[in-house]
Amino acid sequence: MNESFLRSIRDIAGDAYVTDAPAARFAYRQDASLFGGTDAAVIVRPGSTEDVSRIMALASRHGVPVVVRGGGSSIYGQPPGVPGKNLLLDMTRMNRVLSMNPQGMTVTAEAGIIMSRLQQACNRAGFYLFVPAAPVHTVSLGGWLSGAAGGGGIWWEIISITAVLPDGTVVRTGGGPGTHVRQTEAYSRIMGGPDLTGMFIGDGGSFGVKTEVTVRLLGLPAVTRASILVFRTLDNVLDLMARHVARVTPHPFDPLLVFGPGANELFSADGSSADMFTVMALMQGHTAAETDARRDAFAAIAAELGGEHTPELDALAGMMARAPDQESEMEMFGLGFFNGLGLAAWLPFNMPRPRMAEVYPRLVQWREDRIAEAERRGFECQARFEFMAPSDQCSVTGEVDAFFKDSTSPELRAFVRDMIRDYQEFTHELGLLDVYNQGMMSRLNAGCWSDGYRALYSSVKQALDPQHILNPGLWLDREPGSRSDTP
Amino acid sequence: MTDSLKSLRRCADTIYSCRSCGMCGNKMTAKVPYVCPLREATAGFDHFYARGKIVIARGLLEGSLEMTPDLAEAAYGCMLCGNCMTQCGATDRTTAEPLVDTVRIVEALRADLLQSHSEWVPEGYRALLSATRQYDNPWAAPRSAREKWCKGLDLPRAPHADCGVLLFVGCTIASTPALHGQARKAVHVLRAAGINPAIMGRDEPCCASVQRRIGAADMAADMVRNNVDQLNASGCSEIVALCAGCANMLANDYRAAGLKVRVRHIVPYLAELLEQGRLELRHPYAQTVCYHDPCHLGRHMGIFEQPRAVLRAIPGLRLVERNATGKNTLCCGAGGGMRVFESGVRALDIARAGLLQAVQAGADVMVSACPFCEMNLTAAAQTLPEPIPVLDIIDLVCAAVEDRG
Repeated sequence: MNESFLRSIRDIAGDAYVTDAPAARFAYRQDASLFGGTDAAVIVRPGSTEDVSRIMALASRHGVPVVVRGGGSSIYGQPPGVPGKNLLLDMTRMNRVLSMNPQGMTVTAEAGIIMSRLQQACNRAGFYLFVPAAPVHTVSLGGWLSGAAGGGGIWWEIISITAVLPDGTVVRTGGGPGTHVRQTEAYSRIMGGPDLTGMFIGDGGSFGVKTEVTVRLLGLPAVTRASILVFRTLDNVLDLMARHVARVTPHPFDPLLVFGPGANELFSADGSSADMFTVMALMQGHTAAETDARRDAFAAIAAELGGEHTPELDALAGMMARAPDQESEMEMFGLGFFNGLGLAAWLPFNMPRPRMAEVYPRLVQWREDRIAEAERRGFECQARFEFMAPSDQCSVTGEVDAFFKDSTSPELRAFVRDMIRDYQEFTHELGLLDVYNQGMMSRLNAGCWSDGYRALYSSVKQALDPQHILNPGLWLDREPGSRSDTP
Repeated sequence: MTDSLKSLRRCADTIYSCRSCGMCGNKMTAKVPYVCPLREATAGFDHFYARGKIVIARGLLEGSLEMTPDLAEAAYGCMLCGNCMTQCGATDRTTAEPLVDTVRIVEALRADLLQSHSEWVPEGYRALLSATRQYDNPWAAPRSAREKWCKGLDLPRAPHADCGVLLFVGCTIASTPALHGQARKAVHVLRAAGINPAIMGRDEPCCASVQRRIGAADMAADMVRNNVDQLNASGCSEIVALCAGCANMLANDYRAAGLKVRVRHIVPYLAELLEQGRLELRHPYAQTVCYHDPCHLGRHMGIFEQPRAVLRAIPGLRLVERNATGKNTLCCGAGGGMRVFESGVRALDIARAGLLQAVQAGADVMVSACPFCEMNLTAAAQTLPEPIPVLDIIDLVCAAVEDRG
């Protein structure tokens, strides 16, 4: 990377926020995955949309590939860009809440903010940002929208995005200021033009660099109730799930979490419920009366379907009757707990709910076959974890993970990396798509695109990023200067 | 040929237990405003907090990264406070011990850098080691200066048989005239409880905490080996340390090296004396006080409640807490040799942030139990528009104690 380019970048972002030192750069070559981070020539921590705009304009003029990183918590790796030549934008310095609009119930924040930080700010103002089960302490808002969960769970709550296009142009999407120059307030993203906000959701960061996001808020629920039961068959669990989502929109306030036999083995001291499914329904509301009523309605359906109470689970449900500001502590326990289980083969899935009965057992069997192979090679699987939850009315998301002992072994790390990749290829063969549009998953997903979808993507990408400098190679192969995208 | 990664190789297990999720840099809850004070006080690149440091350690072990001069920033930019370990939450399911021991990893990174490229280690750290070679302590204080604090106190000298409690003053307090008062007050308080502590005076060894923290692993190991015999032969039944760093070192490293005598920091010892009714605190102190948990005493030794019990026993004292308190306490900024890193600028920034959080909590006075914390907090307080007084817990106890005889 030439000196004058670097000098210009330092002038824009401030000398302290630019580094090309070898050790500092190396620290970005790893994320939460086994697939690696980005090999960058320079790391920049921009402080504003204007910084990003000027950097992108400069990179565009010089044809420098740019890779964008949020919390660095991807489980499928970072965009590779052009190894050794990338300018990496670490967005986490842009972590401010720009405005809280209590009347309009929206919050606008910089895209590098970590979700838990944003949640805390909303809670302090009496609001609640719906965040589905995910590592909220590590995922940035921009990263979430780009690929961490393809905007999963909160995509519809996003009403405006400020993005910097690859040539440095700053655009603001969404009905309101994006589509009406005399409107200052973002209030609905579908007014006055096509939903271009949606175009930036789940794009893996390939269409533009998100710098600011406006999100709709909910009133902070004051009451939480939980109902936890065990079921002996998957069929009953799926029936329960269907009736639950038909009765209430499962989000934001009534998430239903199902833990499979492997998870029960972890949670239960004596393994007594290891061959069952544990169903945890959380109800959050504004008064005890309404929340109790929803809990009781759920309990009635669960009883009809053979849900069984245990004293331990009833006690746990009692403990979970809490104010929402304790949630983050619960989540923290979750991530630390998983990190302590060993080297994770994260095996997530997302599928249409009606296919669960057919597909889920096949996913579990696939995992068991691979664990058996691992054990033949001398690796020890020390934990399994199965989890599923309706992510909306139509779909179910979940995981059938395995955790292995001895993460110092390069052979084991390679085995687990292959296991994750092979599993995703298997799920794609079944017609499933994961919620993650990040790292190697983007390539796998793009490999299944229809011709029309691929052509549309390529046209949009070509129009916005003719030199292909932003996150090159994320979805489709194309080096800067080449003529066409090929999967 | 010398193994230039000897120390890191010994930590491979804990290095590879890290899942690189980034909680150590990004987590936030109502009780954790941020995890790594250094990340907040610097440009915040990944190598300033645990994940990046561990990625670098892994790269060195795997041969995909070579040592370069800029490695010193990653190695020495850390207070070794351990908050990242606490917030990580990944624990061994059998022992409940933290799986990712960042403190050990960073100390190993420093040790290997110092061993193979000492010229890249900032001069300030090398000066501490030169002083240790010349004066047996990092502060370049001659042995004769180590007993100035106790002039006129007529304290029994160890070693001698049945000397009871040995007051381990530590190099920092013994070598810093401004801190001598704390040691004298400690003696006054112990005597008020009927205990006449012994001291080692000019023969008191340096505990080697500073040397170990800044990467001189071999030097520290030699010092510990030599000192263990001296302490075991002191004739004392119990060592009471005034400095949190010494207490942590003596209670953990020395115990592992064969120290047979019980070691405690003075604050939990005072808490026990209060509980036994051997010490009474009668004179009121009508101030609102915030207690800063020193990392050595809190996260590393698990002593959180006793200091607060001592403070609550002082009549009239009102104790308030910052949001981040107890195991979540944010380091004062002076840990791990940070007063040397970038000439102490970051250490002061971090301390200022901690003081302002105490002021926000309503505190009139900041109290701690570690000379490093207090020196750094005091220096930072003086740069605030309205300086908040910084005291040691022993200052308040001494003022409140009524001498029985």
